Amino acid sequence: MVKVTCPICGGKLDIPEDSLPGELFEHEDCGAHLELVINEGRFELKLAEEIAEDWGQ
Amino acid sequence: MRIGLAYDLIRWEEKALAYTIKDLGHTLELIHVPESVFYLTEPTIRGLDVTFERCVSFYRALASSLTLEAQGVFVVNTFDVIRNCGDKMLTTAVLAKKGVPVPRTMIAFDKVRALEAAKTIGYPVVVKPIYGSWGRMIAKADDESSLLDILDFRENMPSPHFQIHYIQEFIRKPGRDIRAYYLWGEVPVAIYRVSRNWKTNTALGARAEPANLDESTKELVIKAGEAMGSGVLGVDLMEDEDGRIVVSEVNAVVEFKNTVRVTGYDLPRKIVSSTVEALKA
Repeated sequence: MVKVTCPICGGKLDIPEDSLPGELFEHEDCGAHLELVINEGRFELKLAEEIAEDWGQ
Repeated sequence: MRIGLAYDLIRWEEKALAYTIKDLGHTLELIHVPESVFYLTEPTIRGLDVTFERCVSFYRALASSLTLEAQGVFVVNTFDVIRNCGDKMLTTAVLAKKGVPVPRTMIAFDKVRALEAAKTIGYPVVVKPIYGSWGRMIAKADDESSLLDILDFRENMPSPHFQIHYIQEFIRKPGRDIRAYYLWGEVPVAIYRVSRNWKTNTALGARAEPANLDESTKELVIKAGEAMGSGVLGVDLMEDEDGRIVVSEVNAVVEFKNTVRVTGYDLPRKIVSSTVEALKA
């Protein structure tokens, strides 16, 4: 697991090491929906996009 | 093989496909579309045998499949298939032209003509946005008064596509619809989506149950899949009170988490292996 800081509340999340960029996580402490960004091998989280009109299957 | 996975968000499906591609001994190339630059006019991508297009955003899927194809990459599904499945107007037109049974559907551009269309079809009617998914913004009008309210909302929406009124016959389903998977001419698995709501999307809470389709229904799924251009597709079917089965939608970036959960069928493996076989054929 990699400890990553929540960009919303500053708390910590444990992210599995095999996670992929674009993977979604929910921070249980603050409820934020977060998206993983891998920047030169470093794990970061950003606020996930809102569901858009053209999303679907 | 070297297999690409073009995506914007990693859902259960993308992760399952990524692991399966590696488990089957292929080389996985992740293409995170929002963080990529795609060259339209010069070759930059070499050596990809095939790429699965998995963007949840329709426009990202369209744009990235177009540019990958422009680079000579074989994309599943193709740009044409994604476009024809993503626009309900195109889907219905393509299916009807190829003789696939679909609900009676009309297009109108203003309230007067939309009311005329609904009167011809007969109430209740269903009004759908031509783009969109997961059952969002789909409305049923039981009579002229409720249709006028729906049209009024639509005509005040900012997106131009809401000015195209797609009006469809309401199919009285037996509390369920069918999601069948079409993979390169085969129908390996299907589910019922059971709900008390007339909208039977699992995204709206419908319950998934395994479905064993008879041969004639499988043939209909195959006919629909071939009509749309083949590939890896989710074909949605509705049964009416008289036993007639119509195709309501075809999904080109299909979700399958609930299908795998309730059937135990390894659909990600089948998607990858059947695509590799199709590529070799």
